[in-house]
Amino acid sequence: MATPAPPADARRAGFEHEALVHLDALHRVALRLTGNAADADDLVQETMLKAYRAWDSYQQGTNAKAWLLTILRHAFINEYRRRTRRPETVDVETIEPFAVFPDVQQEDPQGAFFDRIVDEQVLRAIDALPEAFRETLVLSDVEGLNYQDIGRILDVPVGTVKSRLFRARRLLQAGLYEYAVEMGYIKRKAG
Amino acid sequence: MNCDEALDHLYEFLDRELTPEVEREVRKHLHACAPCAQETDFEETFLKFVQARCRAHGAPPELKRRIVRELFGE
Repeated sequence: MATPAPPADARRAGFEHEALVHLDALHRVALRLTGNAADADDLVQETMLKAYRAWDSYQQGTNAKAWLLTILRHAFINEYRRRTRRPETVDVETIEPFAVFPDVQQEDPQGAFFDRIVDEQVLRAIDALPEAFRETLVLSDVEGLNYQDIGRILDVPVGTVKSRLFRARRLLQAGLYEYAVEMGYIKRKAG
Repeated sequence: MNCDEALDHLYEFLDRELTPEVEREVRKHLHACAPCAQETDFEETFLKFVQARCRAHGAPPELKRRIVRELFGE
């Protein structure tokens, strides 16, 4: 019969198994929040250190990724936002979304033009979104979290998650469509 | 359910955030309405495209080594 692992080893094994596996996700989100690799690295490292210190308060079996992202976002707001990006000056809730589909319905209803857009351009277009939209879109569309978890992480009601996601997706789509038109991947609808 | 109602629920439908009853209604409408089905497919393509493009890169291996060193002192 195997002897049970000593508590320190068990703690470490649990953290490796449930938290460290989300390193890629944390790094992706950190990059989109800070906008540069050095700050993203530091933010992720700080998040992991804070998470390990607080590991005993994490409830086993709940969503570790959402828990880690909450820590990451708090660290970002408290220590990085002021110096990495300027606070938003536009009222994001008043942004009127523009729908791309009616424009491409005739020529490319399946959105094949998206495939010609390179990764870097997609990331640039996401980085150009207002922060409230960018973080919502990244948590949903890149990291696959549900509305409730996103609401908890961002500390906003589910209805706000929904409306931000709607505007964020439409804005991103419009930005990438403009780029695709410029590059000649698709012709702008006449009229 | 009419087109406006179905399109209002489009993202929640794709995100699997609707109650089973409303989801059934949307599905029924999409089955009967080709333009709405086409728009739903377009939006789904877009969401899959964003995820695929953004998940291509992971954390640098050096960062992982640095964090493990900091956490466990090795």
